[in-house]
Amino acid sequence: MDALAEACERVASHAGRLAKVAALAEYFRTLESDEDLRRAVQFLLGRPAAMAPAVSNLFETVEAPKLALGYAVIRDALRAASGWDDETLRVCHREVGDGGETVGLIMAPFTAGEPMSLERAEQLYLQLHAMRRADARVRMMTEIFRTYRPLTLKYFIKAIGNSFRIGLQEKMVEEAVAAATGKSAAAVRAANNRLGDLAAVAIAARHDQLDSIEARLFHPMDFMLAKPLEDGAAPPEGVEWYVEEKYDGVRAQAHCDHGAVAIFSRGMEDVSKSYPELVSALGRVPGSAILDGEILAWRDGRALSFTMLQQRLARKKLTEAMQVSIPVVFMGYDVLYRDGGLTLDQTLEERRAMLEAAVNDAASDRVLLSPQAKLADVAEIPARYEAARENGNEGLLLKRAGSLYEPGKRGGAWLKVKRAFATLDVVITAAEQGHGKRATVLSDYTFAVRSGDQYLNIGKAYSGLTDAEIREMTKVLRDIAIGRYSRVLLVKPQQVLEVGFDGIQKSPRHKSGYALRFPRILRWRTDKRAEDCDTIERVQELYQSSLNLTPNRVGDDA
Amino acid sequence: MGLWLDSIVPVAANWISHAHSDHSRGGHGRILASPETIRFLRLREDEQILAGSVIEPMECDAPVSLPSGAVITAKPAAHITGARQLLVEFGGERLLYTGDIKLQKPLLGAETEIVPCDHLIIESTFGLPVYRFLTCEQAAERIVRFARECLSEGSIPVFLGYPLGRGQEIVYTLCRAGIPTAVHGAIARLIPAHEESGYQFCGWEPYDAANMPGKAHVVTPGFRNTLEASGKPVRIAYVSGWAAVDNARARSGAEELIPYSDHAGFQELLDIVDGSGARRVDVVHGYTETFARILRERRNIDARAAMVGVHVEDD
Ligand SMILES: [Zn+2]
Repeated sequence: MDALAEACERVASHAGRLAKVAALAEYFRTLESDEDLRRAVQFLLGRPAAMAPAVSNLFETVEAPKLALGYAVIRDALRAASGWDDETLRVCHREVGDGGETVGLIMAPFTAGEPMSLERAEQLYLQLHAMRRADARVRMMTEIFRTYRPLTLKYFIKAIGNSFRIGLQEKMVEEAVAAATGKSAAAVRAANNRLGDLAAVAIAARHDQLDSIEARLFHPMDFMLAKPLEDGAAPPEGVEWYVEEKYDGVRAQAHCDHGAVAIFSRGMEDVSKSYPELVSALGRVPGSAILDGEILAWRDGRALSFTMLQQRLARKKLTEAMQVSIPVVFMGYDVLYRDGGLTLDQTLEERRAMLEAAVNDAASDRVLLSPQAKLADVAEIPARYEAARENGNEGLLLKRAGSLYEPGKRGGAWLKVKRAFATLDVVITAAEQGHGKRATVLSDYTFAVRSGDQYLNIGKAYSGLTDAEIREMTKVLRDIAIGRYSRVLLVKPQQVLEVGFDGIQKSPRHKSGYALRFPRILRWRTDKRAEDCDTIERVQELYQSSLNLTPNRVGDDA
Repeated sequence: MGLWLDSIVPVAANWISHAHSDHSRGGHGRILASPETIRFLRLREDEQILAGSVIEPMECDAPVSLPSGAVITAKPAAHITGARQLLVEFGGERLLYTGDIKLQKPLLGAETEIVPCDHLIIESTFGLPVYRFLTCEQAAERIVRFARECLSEGSIPVFLGYPLGRGQEIVYTLCRAGIPTAVHGAIARLIPAHEESGYQFCGWEPYDAANMPGKAHVVTPGFRNTLEASGKPVRIAYVSGWAAVDNARARSGAEELIPYSDHAGFQELLDIVDGSGARRVDVVHGYTETFARILRERRNIDARAAMVGVHVEDD
């Protein structure tokens, strides 16, 4: 772990992508055992205690371990190990902007500086994971803080936080594995697509066994993604398109093997437990298959709103009553694997035929096929879009004829057609520092609409402005600050933003009594004054009109 | 008693601890400062600081009596060349004003003398326990290593440093290691004044846009964009106390962070306070509230955050 931490510092200290990859590859080459290579790759990907995902079937459910430690545990341990009070630690964390780095800097004068091997690090992660009680975790973490080197502590904690923030994406780790083992980046990437387990791919690459890697059932693969088509734009000409409606549920990957089933989310989590009726229905798919699809709350031949599905997911324990009142289906989109082989390199049409057969063979009213039609003319799109909205769906999905399934790509072979529900001009009332690269600027904004001469908060957004605009906004907001509440800077209501969003809900969380769904900043309206922003009456109107429509959502998108 | 300390508004008599611009402004009746500080102030381009003032150079450890009966004595301070602390003795009480200060040995300039006193006025630019800096030997080693690594791979090492102090420390370090070095504008302009203090800067040359490869460059932070836009293969190092935390990369645009400062790190500040034996401490600049609270809670000292003029980041 000490050497991994040092390698991470070297990666961080190079600005260029190639240099980062080279620094990491150099470190991989120093790892003698396969086990250490596996651990290093897992830690780098922020999966310190990840093991094989669980297999679920009707008879058993095994939970995959995942280490989640709240900042409270780290803070309590840091207080105990360093003797510093909460207020001092709070100011330090604010200035540093990263929990792991703060731990390393604070503990530097106090640690025994003992070495930590990768094996030891893994043991510690697993022990922490196995502990149920927070006070036991705090005691153990305190001991860890007192024992190991500051730089190692920094990355030990960062790995738990899921991100090292050293400008390293999974793609670059793949390239480093390739460079360290003398393989092509494309071969490593392809093997990782098949297996979904870069640590195992790295070991195979080292032993010259990349070709023998086959997709394994019950290891989730990356999903293929759709590129948004701008409002009103037409898809590229000269190719044929198939069109499907875009459903508003939870994207999922079903692994089926002669009756055994696991369902994985976009986040690669095993979510089988939440859908026992789907596990049982998908168990009727003959042979083996990996299906890509969407889980929807469903009644009388149409999708219920996403809110319904959310209500079901929000429950800690899924009751039978809930299964009856909010039934779900698996809407099949595509097939990635069938009876022993990957189908990624077969055409859309070939895969569609396999999907249709699999769904028909399952013969269950809970496993459906997303209706597909050939788009005769792009001029059909507006009418089809309206029809999809009428059906309670989000919009359209266009799939290019003859295209292959490209895991993890948003390449343009799939396009999604949808529109923002509405826009509002709102005024900023408070701002917060972001994280990582944005730790020193105010990048998260709380905003309000006008009610007479008052401003009522309605939401919060942190994306949409350019880095330059954020820097400029930071200066402006600091000049009009009127107070501070913890991390939050309160400002005079002066700066107007235009925000787009996908729906309005009633919500007690904001003063206005409403909340926007998926708000994003479209523009900084320097041409408008606070008095010009939209009013609470306009929000009420939009809410009323939205009741006649099914809520629209930009979700864990297709 | 009529003597102001680093006043940035015109007063009758003002002590200037060192020549950084957030501590030295003009228009005073009398100016008291070290001879080196006065030399730097004469070279300032933005303002005629000394014009119209009576100038009184003060040597270290040479007490001067004021009409009020107070006796003031300059004491060495490690910060930049010419920086001094000021001891004020009046009615049996000893007050010490540190100005900007560090405790570790600097690359250029005097070493700090810890002065026993009753009442201490100390800075806290880096008054949080996360701030800890390299020694001057470690910093010199990192500067030289980065320069050699870049030059050997064919890229151009660029060091960002402020025009008075840090900039010359980096040039001095590179020159002593025999690395060809080009120096930009304001930093180069103040090298002769450092040579008058007895430091040898050999083998550097002025910055030349047409002739960059093969040389280390030392420039002010504002010049970074120009160099990056030049399209040359530059790699940038930031030598600063702020470089102790990773978010300095986003702030400075540098990839290499070398945490070396002309201010004290947290433990150095505590050591200065402890060494002084002061029962009362006023904290100025930076994390004043937090550092004063720590002194109250952990040292049982009557400590408070004191307001001073605008704080300019001069690290
Ligand atoms: Zn200074």
